[in-house]
Amino acid sequence: MSNATITTCKLLLFGRCVRAVLLSVGVQFLLLTVFLLLVNFQLLHPLDWVMGSLRLVCSFYTWFACIPLLGAVVFYGMTLSHQHLAERRYCPTRYRWLLQNGPRKLLFLFAHLVVGYLTAWLYTGYLHTDYRHFVHKCYGQDCLNSYHIFLLGMGLSAGCYYFATEYMHEEASIDFDFAEQSRPEKLRELLYGTLLKAPISSVMPTLCYTFIFWLFGAFLKYRLSVLVNVDTDDRLLGILDVITNGRLLFYGWLLSAQIVSNMHLMRCFYATLLSEKLPMVVARNRVSLGSEQEVTVVAGLGVLNVYVVQCLAANFLYEEARRKNSSVRAEIFQLTEPGNRPANWRALCDQCVSIVGSFTEELSDSMRQISLMKGNEQNFASIHSDSSAALLAEKLLLRQYNQMHGIRPVVSLPRDVPNQEWDTKAMDSIRHVPNWCERTSMKLEKLLQQLLRRIPGIVYFFSEPEGAKTEFLLENALPVIWLTQALAHICVASINEDSYGVVQDDLPGIIKALHRLKCELDRLSNGMPNFRTTSNSFNHLRYAVRRSLYNICTSFYKYLGELSSSGEELRQLQAFVYQG
Amino acid sequence: MASLSNLKQIPTLSSPTGVGHRQNYIPELEQYPTINLKNELLNPSAHRFSVGHSFIPVESESVPKRISRTFFDGGFWESLAEARSEKTREQAPLISKTADYIAHLLDLYSRFKLKVFPHTQQLSAERIAQYAETRDWVNSSVRYIAWHVHLFKLAVAGVDDVVRVYSKITDNNAGMGPVLKSPTQTQITCMAWRPLCAFELVVGCRQGLCFWIIDNNLHLGRTINPSHTLKHPDNLPISSLQWNKDGTLLATASIGDRAILIWHPDSKRLKPLKRLGPPGSLLSWSPCNEWIFAATVDRVFRVWKCHDRWTSDRWVCDGGNVQAACWSPYGRFLLFASTAEPILYRLQFVQLLLQSSKSDDKEVLPVADLNACTLDSSKHTLIGGTVQQLVWDPQGKYLVITFKSTNSIAIFRTYIQKYDLQISGGYYLNGQTTAEYPSFVCFQPLNKDNDRSVLTIGWSSGRIQFYALH
Repeated sequence: MSNATITTCKLLLFGRCVRAVLLSVGVQFLLLTVFLLLVNFQLLHPLDWVMGSLRLVCSFYTWFACIPLLGAVVFYGMTLSHQHLAERRYCPTRYRWLLQNGPRKLLFLFAHLVVGYLTAWLYTGYLHTDYRHFVHKCYGQDCLNSYHIFLLGMGLSAGCYYFATEYMHEEASIDFDFAEQSRPEKLRELLYGTLLKAPISSVMPTLCYTFIFWLFGAFLKYRLSVLVNVDTDDRLLGILDVITNGRLLFYGWLLSAQIVSNMHLMRCFYATLLSEKLPMVVARNRVSLGSEQEVTVVAGLGVLNVYVVQCLAANFLYEEARRKNSSVRAEIFQLTEPGNRPANWRALCDQCVSIVGSFTEELSDSMRQISLMKGNEQNFASIHSDSSAALLAEKLLLRQYNQMHGIRPVVSLPRDVPNQEWDTKAMDSIRHVPNWCERTSMKLEKLLQQLLRRIPGIVYFFSEPEGAKTEFLLENALPVIWLTQALAHICVASINEDSYGVVQDDLPGIIKALHRLKCELDRLSNGMPNFRTTSNSFNHLRYAVRRSLYNICTSFYKYLGELSSSGEELRQLQAFVYQG
Repeated sequence: MASLSNLKQIPTLSSPTGVGHRQNYIPELEQYPTINLKNELLNPSAHRFSVGHSFIPVESESVPKRISRTFFDGGFWESLAEARSEKTREQAPLISKTADYIAHLLDLYSRFKLKVFPHTQQLSAERIAQYAETRDWVNSSVRYIAWHVHLFKLAVAGVDDVVRVYSKITDNNAGMGPVLKSPTQTQITCMAWRPLCAFELVVGCRQGLCFWIIDNNLHLGRTINPSHTLKHPDNLPISSLQWNKDGTLLATASIGDRAILIWHPDSKRLKPLKRLGPPGSLLSWSPCNEWIFAATVDRVFRVWKCHDRWTSDRWVCDGGNVQAACWSPYGRFLLFASTAEPILYRLQFVQLLLQSSKSDDKEVLPVADLNACTLDSSKHTLIGGTVQQLVWDPQGKYLVITFKSTNSIAIFRTYIQKYDLQISGGYYLNGQTTAEYPSFVCFQPLNKDNDRSVLTIGWSSGRIQFYALH
């Protein structure tokens, strides 16, 4: 894919990231206002309460004190943008994952800690004097303020908690809205949802932190007192001191809720803005100026190293394909002038079929690595060609269960005897018998491998978990989900709209690609039932592919004979239409 | 404006379960299954029974033991009822007295809670029936009928909370398919086959949504369960549901919830479309996926625009609530009727002007007067009144209306033009007896196996009848 396309896409996305940062900066003042309204609550003087809180927000102190936090928010935003726009590569082992993602994740953790700490630092400035300063006077000399340290620690732990729950193992994800509402409505819902949910979700982290602070607080305070050369105070020494201090716990919980809300809001701003429709065209306008930022759908789909762009291009195509009257679809069916060639459709179809094909190929390769699938490859081959796949899958599961519990079959499985004999003979004739040297070396190698495996952590870090590649592919299959459905909708719409018949030549290829992917997914579903029950992305992909194929097959049912490449495929497709 | 005064009796059309109608013989209808739910409801195997019914109660059981057993069998409320029963009152008056106090306290608490949060009131079957599309939903043998969009598969939900699936009668198939029964599927209010899928049925009931995957293995006779169930976030019953055209999104409404829920079942995600106002009662997705009509339990109804950004137009009826609504085959017109007056209204969704239309451009027009009048053949039989259900045939030629208080079905002729809709009087249709009334009506969709408008009527007697309209 051309660098110009990648640069254009990145620039477009960068603009959105900047808007998300600005929103994040703006929301800091809103959250601060909420915090001040809560901590300064006065039942008997409501006007004073509201005016006092607003005055504090608008004061010079706040504007100056906010600067470090706003800087941290910008830094956080930059690292979050980096998370979203980073290439998603498969890491077979945890060691490789650490090598590839470790520095990025560490930087992001640092951003969380900084935002958490600075939020706590800023907010404690508005609290009661007992909680406000790092050092206070006790018994006539300077002492460390345990309350302040508790609250600063709460800020750090809230940041750390949010990172651990949302980003540590997973990539920053974008949920594309399937019922998109206007931006103000989305923001309103987001704010309500976050501000209502965060106080509940931050109760447990607050309690955990309180417990940890009781355990290690004294040690921490001692180290800090040595560092800043002041004494420690005698507050918060026992668990009773901590849990009976209601105000401290309330402040800690409030702070934790604020930080969690803040980070959640920032995450959602990015997700909302990045998932907004990217303006794309089917073909570049020849008379358009070079400075215009036009990205074609085909080019967008080809940006493999920026997952978001590929998703946006696929989503654009899907939305346009299912629309009632779409100019984009009309453009796809058009012929080029001059030349009268279906260049738009050709490029789009080739790109889509190639993406679906390569995905199927990769999925198929990854499934070969799964031992459960490996053992049953032959059996699955028969399932492949049988309409009652679920019934056979059940038999396979039974066989796996029997093998696992050492139950032998009463009747041996029927085998194709002549073929086996032929195979055995063939194998015998070319079988190589290793000499003693080779045998010893093989044994030694095996022994070494076994020894290595016994060292704790070796398997954990350096071996590839079973089915990890398949899982990775399924987790990142959103473009394929939309592409298959878009292709199906375009093919079905071509019955009425494709006046030049540009689509019909490619129908067999599209049906074949979708059918192959469907068979692979059925195979996975039958061989690994846990995918079916636990993985939403797998179900999403499987049902999308099935629906797409069904859409084409039911619309072109009369012509399936001409469109399918073999009699077996035709039989399967006809059975699929009637029996699913 | 059309009216019911000039309706004629429908010509004798073919109908396999009808009696004596064989003049206009249509061979395809011979393959339709013969369904009479009354017979099947009499079958004791179809009745719901619990494990407790299989055992004989122990007479010598002590009171605490009996109460604790009831608690583990039927839960807290059952055990409280057991503690307050006559038998317990005789054997252990102290326990029943304590149970009375607990029940009284709980009653006080629930009354107080209802005063403070009136929306938390349990939705009774009567209240569900008030807004259901099915006439006399509580007692009706047929509670809902759903045709598959692409294949000959008919699902019929009965009052026994069982869904029976029927298919075409062939040489080796009598037409009876699987029977879908589950403890998590009670008080069925609506159901729909998933488009672009051969075997998935979703049932809306008190417990939420039950998804059934009906594949070939069901004929083996094993016990089947829903593939999965999705509950309403507030544990409310589903009162209306509908799939979009391509089977990706499912819209549901509940008479206890103000928001319409849009489900993405494949990824198990949910998006509530919230608006201030009364709870929703009825949903209808336009055939081209562009609009969703959403009625509420009050005068308000909304039309949601579903492409690009989802927005809604708010409308208010003169009184009552919208009882029934239907879209024209290409989604240009929407017809609806309210419970307050027997008038059929139309809403137009075609742009007359070149500029983009606003909500103000649309206007509600009355198109038919449905005031009750006598039929031409029998001066004692009335037709008309408040509308129960509206269905439009998939070819856009007939509009079928059933009524809340009269037993005949009115069939109007419709002519859809690009910017206009004309409705003229057509026919009326009666049951086998004067007491028989239509509980639920729907049309079989057009697909590769069916090119006729086949009206499917679930009568109050449990009989299902098919009429092919020309």
